[in-house]
Amino acid sequence: MLTRRFFLRGSAMAMAGMGSAPLWLTRAAAAGSLKNKTLVAIFMRGAADGLNIVVPFGEKRYRELRPTLAVAPPSRQDNANGGPFGSTIDLDGTFALNGSMQPLKALWDNRQLAIVEATGSPDPTRSHFDAQDYMESGTPGRSVPDGWLNRALPPEPGASPLRAVALGNQVPRTLRGEREAIAIGNAQQFKIGDENTASILQSMYSLSPDAPFRRTGTDAFEAMKMLASLSVGAPGSGPGPGGPGRPSYGQGGDLGRSLQELARLIKAEAGVEAAFAEIGGWDHHGNENQQLSNLLRQFSSAIAAFCDDMGDRMEDIVLVTMSEFGRTVEENGDAGTDHGHGSMIMVLGGPVQGGKVYGKWPGLEKEQLYEGRDLAVTTDFRAVLSEVVRGHLGQNDLSAVFPGFRPGAPLGLLRA
Amino acid sequence: MKPVLLAIAAASLAAIVLPRPADATGPFEKRLTPEQQIVQALNRLTFGPKPGDIEDVRRMGLANWIELQLHPDRIPENPALETKLKPLETLRMNLAEVVKEYTPGQPGMTMAIPPPFESLNTLLSNEQRRKVMNGTAEERTEVLKSLDADKRKQVLASLPPNVISYTPDFKDEAADAQKERQEQLRAEARRRNPQLGDLLNPDQMAAARSNDGKRVAALLASLDRGRQIQVAAMLPLASLAEVPELRREGQRSRMPRLVASEDLREAKVFRAIDSNRQLEEVLVDFWFNHFNVDATKNVASLGNTPNLGHLLIGSYERDAIRPHVLGHFKDLLLATARHPAMLYYLDNWDSMAPGSFEVGPFAPVRGTVNGVPNSILPLFGQQAHGLNENYGREVMELHTLGVKGGYTQDDVIAVARCFTGWTVRSPENPEFVFAPFMHDFGEKTVLGHKIPAGRGEADGLQAIDILAHHPSTAKFISRELARHFVADDPPQALVNRMALTFTSTDGDLRAVLETMLKSPEFFSEGAWEARIKSPLEMVVSAVRATGGEVTDAWSLVQKIADMGEPLYAKLEPNGYPDTGETWLSTAGIMARINFPPALTSGRVPGVSPDASRWKGMDAPAIARELLGHDPSAQTLQAIETGLQGRDPAPALIASLILSSPDFERR
Repeated sequence: MLTRRFFLRGSAMAMAGMGSAPLWLTRAAAAGSLKNKTLVAIFMRGAADGLNIVVPFGEKRYRELRPTLAVAPPSRQDNANGGPFGSTIDLDGTFALNGSMQPLKALWDNRQLAIVEATGSPDPTRSHFDAQDYMESGTPGRSVPDGWLNRALPPEPGASPLRAVALGNQVPRTLRGEREAIAIGNAQQFKIGDENTASILQSMYSLSPDAPFRRTGTDAFEAMKMLASLSVGAPGSGPGPGGPGRPSYGQGGDLGRSLQELARLIKAEAGVEAAFAEIGGWDHHGNENQQLSNLLRQFSSAIAAFCDDMGDRMEDIVLVTMSEFGRTVEENGDAGTDHGHGSMIMVLGGPVQGGKVYGKWPGLEKEQLYEGRDLAVTTDFRAVLSEVVRGHLGQNDLSAVFPGFRPGAPLGLLRA
Repeated sequence: MKPVLLAIAAASLAAIVLPRPADATGPFEKRLTPEQQIVQALNRLTFGPKPGDIEDVRRMGLANWIELQLHPDRIPENPALETKLKPLETLRMNLAEVVKEYTPGQPGMTMAIPPPFESLNTLLSNEQRRKVMNGTAEERTEVLKSLDADKRKQVLASLPPNVISYTPDFKDEAADAQKERQEQLRAEARRRNPQLGDLLNPDQMAAARSNDGKRVAALLASLDRGRQIQVAAMLPLASLAEVPELRREGQRSRMPRLVASEDLREAKVFRAIDSNRQLEEVLVDFWFNHFNVDATKNVASLGNTPNLGHLLIGSYERDAIRPHVLGHFKDLLLATARHPAMLYYLDNWDSMAPGSFEVGPFAPVRGTVNGVPNSILPLFGQQAHGLNENYGREVMELHTLGVKGGYTQDDVIAVARCFTGWTVRSPENPEFVFAPFMHDFGEKTVLGHKIPAGRGEADGLQAIDILAHHPSTAKFISRELARHFVADDPPQALVNRMALTFTSTDGDLRAVLETMLKSPEFFSEGAWEARIKSPLEMVVSAVRATGGEVTDAWSLVQKIADMGEPLYAKLEPNGYPDTGETWLSTAGIMARINFPPALTSGRVPGVSPDASRWKGMDAPAIARELLGHDPSAQTLQAIETGLQGRDPAPALIASLILSSPDFERR
């Protein structure tokens, strides 16, 4: 299999001959090691209900305020409410995973999964779109045009054009900014059909006076050339995870497909340092438990399949999941919940000190709730992300990544 | 004489269209040339100019043309369009009809037909049956031994496994009998639900699996009608591009609800390409996105009606959106608030006054469930019921005031309370109904307005009234329109003038558009080529610019979805964000660059380009024809340098122009 290193030396010379070797190519060919760390951000759009995902089953108030929605505690696995949603997986005697997340149990047991409770944004907005904006840009209360993950990447002339990859049709706010980030839907289709016209079009875009198109077009063509140079496995080819008892991408829905695409790029050593994937549909205003189960099954299968697929490479990979806010502690009139405040964040990967629930649990008594209705936030989401950004990506200038935020004592999420 | 008259006419038109600018400083104050103005109007008020459109507008006069587009009822519709829409019959059906005709047949039909073997009741006498099922091992063995081999085989095949395990003598015979029974059942199932291989011979199978549209079409033509539909239903949709009617019938036999929304998707593309009432189509696209509903949302609590949204979406666009796009905003708002599609999508249909379902026969009975005391016992009818805030919030945040419009969480709850009882009669009969028993009759305060207690449906009507007339609404709606038609960040002065018109005309959307279309900003350099095309706009404008003839829109719908804009399927209620950065991504650019080569070389099924129209034209001429103006020097340079020494087909040049950055803007 053609590795990036092997190709780069050859093609740097070939392309230099054509008079236009991109900087990243010559630099990278000169450099020796191409091992890099990868941080994957997974956004759960729609305000995921943290309390039914990581269940505080010991809390009396949880059951009182959610007579229909409360998920049964691990000791009682027969369903409490006449439906098939009644099971949980005990984590540490206080919290339990929703029963639909069985694929993540192995990661918890292997200490590759850490959970931060009662975390989120200090901003009071309950608008999905504003809150997502603030969380993605890392500046609660203010909307800025770039995102935290883009700012977290140090400037590196000659970095791979696939350094920051959004798996989907668009680059989300999280990855927008000064560093080049590209959106790849499907690596196989990310190319111009006809090679003759490809060079004409590349010239057109790279010289265009239309600045946004010039920038994005140049990025696209560079990424396209990079992908062509790698042996990115075709969908379905090569050994994937699967087989009896192993998690499968197929159960992971669109998120599974995205992470599978990412896995291919990482295996082809494309130099991906920051990646973004998303999964929507969490806005459960009505009939929550059934929809949540289905979604959690997909969510956990996708993540577990990716971790399984990456195998030893997980040493260099950290995934972090987040949602714009949580949901009301009390259920609403439709066996659902409305927009809330605090939620939970999952951090997964080889370098993670997993098998533990972090954060200070504020309790669910009325006076302990935010505005008397939502889980309070005791750990700012930026504290969690700061730790990961510094510890994993090696970015020490955190005031640039999260302007206006001063992290407190670290939680200890990553192994030293 | 005539030239003088023409000059006077031109000058007076110019005077109407172009008020004299004050100091021309910023780009929004620099006037476009008359020729550019025509192109600008075509780019913004239509889905892209067709060949000959520029001349038509020039001949009619720009102001006249704009006036005509603002009154679609005065424009005779394209008869070719009517023909194309005819097979999509759900477009013409009312909600009750669509639900009746496009709901799948009863599931489990196979259960209603008796299985092809006899049951124990007929094979054995009562006494024999008692001995076999409930007797001792000796009794059972005795009965079985007494039967002849054939009957014994049938009996053994019907026995449950625990009975057989207590009859070791006949274990092997039973195993054989059971195996035979399984094969009998499998064959029966195959007969009722045949696989493709059961219906076609090997040659036919090869054609069916070839994914070659023409081979598949030929195969289907050779079959009789019933078999045609059966086979079509089993093939992937992409291979049926040449036979749209059979594709539709095949899908209807399998998943009829999806056909209803597919009709609307194809109609949208047909209309965007062929309708003469272009501004109306542009406005329907805009307003649908503003009042977005996701056709694919499953209302989970309606157990056996998945895909219900697909049935409702056609009526939603036709009955709630389209009639009001040039009318009054408050009517548009009310129509969307009452439509079952919106009631299901934003959950208002089951939002009700807290406690309204907890009295009398529905009062919850509490007890200990699984050791948890004071739980609601899961008895029939004892589900949680109460207020759902979703619509209350989104109607203000997304539909009227805007997120910064000045509402509070209390207002969200108050508005939600006003709309309690606004619900849908039933999934089988999805029409609006007001249900008093669900309504919260208490007093409410919405945005400072007191709504007295004891009314009913009028609460929701008053909420609509308050929202439609709130000053933030005028500004928010004007800004959204200005963004869609002028520039991603429209000049505030223009937005203010439009808001003023909105307020002084009680939300007359035609008047607001007139304020905008007669403004200097609309015909300014700041607005020229300022908008990046959405995937729908890109695909449709490419087809229109090439004069392509479209007989089937299915492939185009797929291409648009591949570029990131699946029609009627945006999950979130805010719709597709209406700025260029939504579409400007590397993946987006790749998809858009790859579409024109397929289009111009005739590789998009159902779309026939007309390459002859560019015969004998050079690159600059083809570019001018497709863009309506000169291309950028860089685009032309790249094409001419790259094609030097070759004798390129005009279709290739056209494809390069359509893939260029120049064509991505409007």
